[in-house]
Amino acid sequence: MGKPKIGIYGLTGCAGDQLNILNCEDELLKLFDIFEVKSFVMASRSKDESVPLDVAFVEGSVSTEKDLEELKKIRQKSKILVAIGHCAVFGGVQSMYLGCEPWIERYKKVYGREDAVTISPPLDPKPLSAYVKVDAVLPGCPIEKEPFLKMAGLLAQGVIPKNPDYPVCAECKWKENECLLLKGEICLGPITSAGCGAICPSLNIGCIGCWGPIEDENFASGIALLESKGYTLDEIVKRFSIFGGTERGEKLAKYIAKVKEGHNG
Amino acid sequence: MRVFKMKKGNIVPFLRSLEEFGEVWGPVKKGDNYVYAHEDPEKFDLSALRTLIPAKKFFLPQKSTILKFKNGNWYTHSDCKKRVIFGLHPCDIHALNIYDEFYTRVYEDPYYKSNKEATLIIGLSCLPDEHCFCNLTDTSTVEKGFDLFFTELEDKFLVWVGSPRGDDILAKRSDMVEDITKEDIKDYIEWRKRRENMFKVDLSFTGLPEIVSASYDSDIWDKMGSACLSCGTCTMVCPTCTCFDVEDEYDIRADEMNRNRKWYSCMFREYSLVAGGHNFREARAERLRLWYTHKLVGFMSEYGDPACVGCGRCVVSCPVGINVLSIVRALTGEKNDAFWAKTEVKQI
Repeated sequence: MGKPKIGIYGLTGCAGDQLNILNCEDELLKLFDIFEVKSFVMASRSKDESVPLDVAFVEGSVSTEKDLEELKKIRQKSKILVAIGHCAVFGGVQSMYLGCEPWIERYKKVYGREDAVTISPPLDPKPLSAYVKVDAVLPGCPIEKEPFLKMAGLLAQGVIPKNPDYPVCAECKWKENECLLLKGEICLGPITSAGCGAICPSLNIGCIGCWGPIEDENFASGIALLESKGYTLDEIVKRFSIFGGTERGEKLAKYIAKVKEGHNG
Repeated sequence: MRVFKMKKGNIVPFLRSLEEFGEVWGPVKKGDNYVYAHEDPEKFDLSALRTLIPAKKFFLPQKSTILKFKNGNWYTHSDCKKRVIFGLHPCDIHALNIYDEFYTRVYEDPYYKSNKEATLIIGLSCLPDEHCFCNLTDTSTVEKGFDLFFTELEDKFLVWVGSPRGDDILAKRSDMVEDITKEDIKDYIEWRKRRENMFKVDLSFTGLPEIVSASYDSDIWDKMGSACLSCGTCTMVCPTCTCFDVEDEYDIRADEMNRNRKWYSCMFREYSLVAGGHNFREARAERLRLWYTHKLVGFMSEYGDPACVGCGRCVVSCPVGINVLSIVRALTGEKNDAFWAKTEVKQI
């Protein structure tokens, strides 16, 4: 068996995830040793898109027709498709809930008019999984070096890695940190996917949720808890939205509708 | 069990002298709380009550590598270190005794066992705060599970010897200890009476297993489940929680596969997820009920005691107030002002 062939691609996003792969300077030679890199535009202009890939790493959200076309091509030629970074996994900040529906209203709010982007027709920014089968995810905004290397290591061994299904709080407790929520601060630890190693709470900064929502999140209780600590629903929704992606956005819209219903009834 | 007396000024030199048995760890301040840390004993805070994470971390570390795979072969791996841990209170030592039961009685865990054997345990007395309830769980004093146990009186320590190792340690440091007098015994008895009167949690744990069993279908579990964040904090801070997960990690730098185990929690959805995608405890309420039935009923029938030592860590750690006390209050119809009990969470 030869080396696994890989490609690293970017759709709509800041390219920070690709950059963080390039930032693995001490390990790059090792990575190039275990993988045959067929496409990584940020690192080299020479690329070969004609061969099938064992693993494709894709960052960025699907935000244009061109993104979608490219994603479909990548999916077609890759055995394993890995979404890397918040945009690819959850939709990114560009997909955040802003309280205006349909999405074109959000688009106009940001760009001023409907035909502002001319490269390719725009789409409601969505994670890769909204369009194609995603085999593994590595969240983060941007992704972190260590989790990336661990993931790459497993993929090289033919193992499909799994993202933790538990929240940042677990890692925060392993590190013996004091709980910021108990101190009355907004910390998104309980509703955010672990994997980062609780970096921010370890520095006494509340989790901002950049690893995205944990599937099993009890965000309604999170809101109630923060409200009991004196935060307004508006403040909480803003925090929950930034890295909430498309799915939490839908939940927040429902929650707010329910609150309004309660007020009217 | 032999008992000696030690002058207060001797405690730091004494603890420093124990470096010959391994790293000396004790409670030090972290923010408003405490953690066990490897520091100079001068920095140990003898007034520390409960550490953020209990002493289980020395015997079942948060994360540890148990096997390595390289060049086609498996090797067992252990990071076992010789340590002296100072400052464990009776509840902490009771919890370690429960760990002993769990990790050695039926299936002996070699990693746990070697960690335990490499560790000297030096207990320290405490005075309860408003969250302590070891008096209710019958764990406020301890007779076994330590090498030495220090009781801090006003002007001296009384030192109980709990093992041959502890005896040897004191025998080699006879200049630091003295024999006890009748006066010392009197002081100790008075101190105990004072301590017994300091417990403030006004609840009864009598007949609790029966009550918890009978409450299997109570709607209290759903109410709690609605507020539970499933953050796993309760299980991480609980000194008797023993669960871990096993995962493989490939280290590309060393070209080797590590099989690690790390603390895990029955509060996490995946804990009860089995092959085929079925989850037999999908609802948070079911997970909570499992935890509390395990602690207060299941463990009792298996090992003869409940797996709660009254340390109060869950009481001070759960962001939504789910803990042994608020649950007992709810199940026994006592007044309960925990967040989960008084808040209507708008689930969508």
